[in-house]
Amino acid sequence: MDTGAWIILALIVIFILFMIAMYNRLVALRNQVKNAWRQIDVQLKRRHDLIPNLVEVVKDYMSYEQETLRQVIEARNSAVNAQGPADTIAAEGVLSGALGKLFALMENYPDLKANQNVANLMEELSSTENKIAFARQFYNDSVMSLNNAVQSFPSNMVANMFRFTEATYFEVPQAETAVPKVDLR
Amino acid sequence: MASSLVVTCPECGTYNSASASLCRQCGAVLKPERAQRPRIQKKLLRRTDFLAAARANQANTRRLVLILVAVACVLGYLIGWNIQIYAQAPAHTYGQPAPGDWSPWFFSAWGAIGAAILAGVSLVWTFVAFKAGDRIVMRMTGARQVGPDEAPMLNNVVEEMAIAAGLAKPKVYIIDTPALNAFATGMSPGRASIAVTQGLLDTLNREELQGVIGHEMGHVVNWDIRYATAVTVLVGLIALVSDGVLRGFYYGGGRRRDSRGGGVVAILLLVFAVLAPLVAKLVQMAISRQREFLADATSVRLTRNAQGLISALEKLETSAQPFDGANRATQHLFIVNPFRNFSEKASALMATHPPLSRRIERLRNLGAKGY
Repeated sequence: MDTGAWIILALIVIFILFMIAMYNRLVALRNQVKNAWRQIDVQLKRRHDLIPNLVEVVKDYMSYEQETLRQVIEARNSAVNAQGPADTIAAEGVLSGALGKLFALMENYPDLKANQNVANLMEELSSTENKIAFARQFYNDSVMSLNNAVQSFPSNMVANMFRFTEATYFEVPQAETAVPKVDLR
Repeated sequence: MASSLVVTCPECGTYNSASASLCRQCGAVLKPERAQRPRIQKKLLRRTDFLAAARANQANTRRLVLILVAVACVLGYLIGWNIQIYAQAPAHTYGQPAPGDWSPWFFSAWGAIGAAILAGVSLVWTFVAFKAGDRIVMRMTGARQVGPDEAPMLNNVVEEMAIAAGLAKPKVYIIDTPALNAFATGMSPGRASIAVTQGLLDTLNREELQGVIGHEMGHVVNWDIRYATAVTVLVGLIALVSDGVLRGFYYGGGRRRDSRGGGVVAILLLVFAVLAPLVAKLVQMAISRQREFLADATSVRLTRNAQGLISALEKLETSAQPFDGANRATQHLFIVNPFRNFSEKASALMATHPPLSRRIERLRNLGAKGY
């Protein structure tokens, strides 16, 4: 073979290596998105488990707020039963709104804030709220990385060839943006 | 110092060319009389862009590590070259010119071998340090591991930041001291450890603690601990070899002084052996300072809240509690330097941390951008 053939062969090998690198990056990004979604799921489950405990502890103190407590329980149950990402996002939004209202009302009960049990539960719940928010943040960042790779040249060619699709963002429902901040310290 | 070719930045101690208007490291104004010029104004704005600075830092660190490796290789080459001259130069050189066309100015194969040996040794040594580093550090600082039952809030905050960074939760440690400080260690993001002092837990509120933990998580995400370990190993190696060379000159020098031209090469090695450890130390400190800025930026990326870290740093600044658990080997790991008087402008080139005021200023700038 002469030099020209060698150069062409080298170019082909480099091209193939590039394709492999881009493919592997896309796979890694897609898995990161999936894993990030699972992280959100874990935290949502944890929130569902904590809410009945909290309601149980506070209901004696907050006898005048039965309506709010009922709303929280209802929202929690419909969130547990939600199927698929779209439903889940909507139901969790309602739950966050109801919880926010409860947290705000609890500020009015000094006895509650003094209760160590409640303080522990509140720390767990507000931490779980934070974790959901951070997990969502990481999920959305991962989605952005994947979508950038799927849309931009030249990785979009590899993405089309192997049917990598864009992922959907976890949008914050309107109700949730108004959650009041709770600080028991 | 009108004759000097370089000026030292009053803020961070970096050397700058005498004609520079701004410090190339921290962006401080070096020539106040020029500060109002539009070009400088534009530059000033760009220099305080925190995220851009963070990206530049990554590249800078890589360059500085390469400089260290290059210094080690040059040292190895010079040693090999000198040995080859000593071994191969014509023997009868005492006071007489060497015969024929022999000259010490050749490409030295032994020198190449010397360079390769130093590069190899630093690799192996670094690998060993990676294997045992974090355990040793934790023992040195007297930290004890705490579970979620003992310190629920701290564990929660660490887990939150780990989730934000998309990493496994690091191990959580507490150091029983009233001093305010925190540090991270561990050789990979997968198995890291974060330690905070009891004083820090008692003083900061949740938001501030989150900023501090975010900073430590930044060190984990950015592989800073690994960088720091590798750099420490390289610096140690360069110091050790240079020291050996200088001793060699002290005891064995003079015998080959007269070999034609070889003396010049020997002097070259001597000068380099004196300067190399100094250069290496300066590079190490520069890397450490840059990584602090980068970790601050990462903290804000994770928390999306600059205010927490700002007010935490302000509290750290006003606290005067010294911390005995740190030593020269571990000082670069902490969020603020455990030895220094924090408010003092770190005039020294040897500072491992940038002045707190400058870090806070950069965070403010980032906060103004909408985080």
